[in-house]
Parts: sequence; C-alpha cells; structure tokens
Amino acid sequence: MFGDELKALRRLGFRHVLLQILNFASVLASGLMIWKGLGLITNTESPIVVCYHSGSMEPAFYRGDLLFLTNPPNQRYEIGDITVYKVPGADIPIVHRVLETRDLVPLAQEQLLLTKGDNNHIDDIELYQGLEWLERKHIIGKVRGFLPYVGYVTIAMNDFPQFKYALLGGLGLLALIQRE
Amino acid sequence: MAPKNRKTANGGASPSPSTLEEKSPAKFAQVDGGDGVASDSGTTHSGLDLTPSTSARDEVKVNNSSATDMKHACDDALKRFLARPDLFKQIHTHTDVRLALGWASVLVSLGTGLYGYKVEFEKSKPVVWAGLILYIILTVAQALYAYFIEGDIVFVGKRKTFDKRIVTERITVSSKTIPSTPSAPCPSYALSLSYVRSASGGKTLLGKGRSGAERPYNSFFDPQGVMDQEAFERWVGSVVGRVIEGPSE
Repeated sequence: MFGDELKALRRLGFRHVLLQILNFASVLASGLMIWKGLGLITNTESPIVVCYHSGSMEPAFYRGDLLFLTNPPNQRYEIGDITVYKVPGADIPIVHRVLETRDLVPLAQEQLLLTKGDNNHIDDIELYQGLEWLERKHIIGKVRGFLPYVGYVTIAMNDFPQFKYALLGGLGLLALIQRE
Repeated sequence: MAPKNRKTANGGASPSPSTLEEKSPAKFAQVDGGDGVASDSGTTHSGLDLTPSTSARDEVKVNNSSATDMKHACDDALKRFLARPDLFKQIHTHTDVRLALGWASVLVSLGTGLYGYKVEFEKSKPVVWAGLILYIILTVAQALYAYFIEGDIVFVGKRKTFDKRIVTERITVSSKTIPSTPSAPCPSYALSLSYVRSASGGKTLLGKGRSGAERPYNSFFDPQGVMDQEAFERWVGSVVGRVIEGPSE
C-alpha cells in the first residue's frame, strides 16, 4: 500500500527521512511549548480543562464544555468565582463555585475558601478529605470563559483510547509522507 | 559522439576527471578567455560529463495539478543528476544546519515538558521559562536561516580536480516556480545557477559564472504526470555547461 512512498523515501536518502520526522516532531513540540507558555502566562498548570463530570454545575456548565482558567497570584478570590481545585489525595479536579472566603492573614496567597456546586444541595466539605477549608495552593485556577461542546473530543479520546491512537498514527503517517 | 571518443582514446574506460583533462590542457590555459572548445554535442565541458545517465531509473510520477509536487520532483531529479559521483559532491551544510536547529528545539521542548511533568508547578516555573525562551530562540533562528540564508537554494556542490594545481569548483543551484499567467497558462520551473572556480584553496579566482533558465512544467511532465527525466537532465546539463563555459570575469 505504501510501496511508492517507501521507495521514494529510500531513494531520497537518510537526511530526507530525518527532515520528514523533524516536521512531525516539531509540530508536536510547538504544540507542547504553546501549552506550557500558556500555563506560565496564566499562572496555572492547566489553563484549559474539560468539564468531565457535569451535573454539579448545571445549568452553567455541562459535560463536554471547555473551560479557560487563570490563577492571578496576588488577587483575592471573591464569593461567586467559579474555581477548579484539586484536593490532595484525590486526583480528579473539581469545578465548583466559591461560597465563603476567610482571610486569617491579609494576604491573597493565604486565603481560605469553601465551595459548593450550583446543582448540589450541600457544600463540598465531604470532598475535602478531612480539611475544613480549601487553601489557595489547592486551587488550579478560576474560570474566565468557556466554549460549549468542544471538550467532547477529549472525552471521546479518553473513553475510547483506540480513537486517540488512530488519530495520532494517522497524523504521523501524513506528516512523514507529505512534503511542505 | 565526441565524448565517447574522448573516453576510449584515453586508453581505457577510466572515468576519472584528471585523465579526461589531460587530453585537453588547452582548456584550462584559456580559462579566463572565451569558449575555447567548439562543443559540438554541447554535453561535455571541461571534463564534466553532463549527459543524462543511462542506468535504469525508477519512474517518477506526480500529481500534475500540483505545482509544489512538480517542483519537488524536479528538485529531486536535479539533485540525483548533479550529485553523481563523476559530477559534483553535494555539500549538505544548509540541510545540516536546519536539522541541527530543528532537532535541538524539539529536544529542548521534550526536556521542558518532561521537567514540567515531573516537578510540581510552582517549583518548575523558572526552568520552564528558560526552556520556553530557548525554544523560541532556536525556532526563530531556524526560520531566519531558512528564509534569509538558505532561500531558494536546492543544491550546493563542490568538485576538486587536479591539473598542475588543485582546482576547486563550486556550484549553487536555486529553483523556484513561476506561477502561470494568462499569457503563459502553464507554470514554469526557473533554475538559477552560480558557479565559482578557484585554485590553491580558494585564494586564486579562476572563473565565475551565473546563469538562469526556465521551462514550463509541461516540457517535462506528460498528461499522466510521468516525468521525462532524460529530457530534464539534458536541459539541466546544458544550463550547467553554459555557466561553466560561459563568460567568466
């Protein structure tokens, strides 16, 4: 099936193959660097997240929504901000709204928060794994904007890993064969 | 038939350029003059055998409607033709620089990604900043190099011959596609060559030449997209021959 392309590659030599692989690798590298750069600018390790398990934030966010986060280091979080946080001991981040705040020390970085999902009846104390308040260091960021439905691609790739590998494999093959 | 005669009269099928040049030392004596030899077949100049190769070749078939594909096919055929052992030895500097800068930036990004994955976010920030800035510098350097220094160049070749002294010849070939216009409906392949001949390690300039030529793509590709490599090589051979023998300063 790829006889012609393989013959052409062999004819063009080793350097050419290296160049083609470089094309593919540099696309991945630039994607990675854009992601890292975005994380540095917004001061959060995950500037774009997908709302995976919805329900608790309806009707604001549904499953599959793409959320854009920032985490300004010296700004207080106000009541009503929607935060994404990760409790140590649990590995899934949770998207809920800030219900109460407390400043034992008048420093934005030492703020304490209590959250609750819009669609839940009770606040999140049970999710805090023993803590009474969330600390700023547990917060990944606050939601600045969102895009509906776009996150379904990520959910599909997580639920069906074959889809992810097929997509990556197809892109790789295309990059190796095409020339710019 | 002149080239064939010269080869056999040399007392053997010795293809080495030095023996060919011994047959016509007059050529090198008049290097700064005009065309010293009435090249009847127009295919052998200064000992260079620019005839199309007779060995079996793979068929080259490309998409007729894509000017990019056709240009790549022509560039590849040109590299295959000029990089023959008895013609020029290809210098890969431009490709190597591009590969080095490109792979360095990929490795930097991989390292930064791995570091950011292993180390917690707040602590990793300085190193990730450094990695990001290094990546941007490498990528910009690569883009600037490709645009300004490499430009349209597709082949750089060198050749050393021995005739009383070491003569070095260097040829640089660039190509581009001239898009179709209402008066010329088929896009053309424009070739431009620059040639330098020097001795004693590049200190003495013996000759210099520049030439360019263009042909519409339909002179090399038939309606099915199969490339007529012999016709292409003949044309390239004539342009190269012209720049070698042409008016030198």
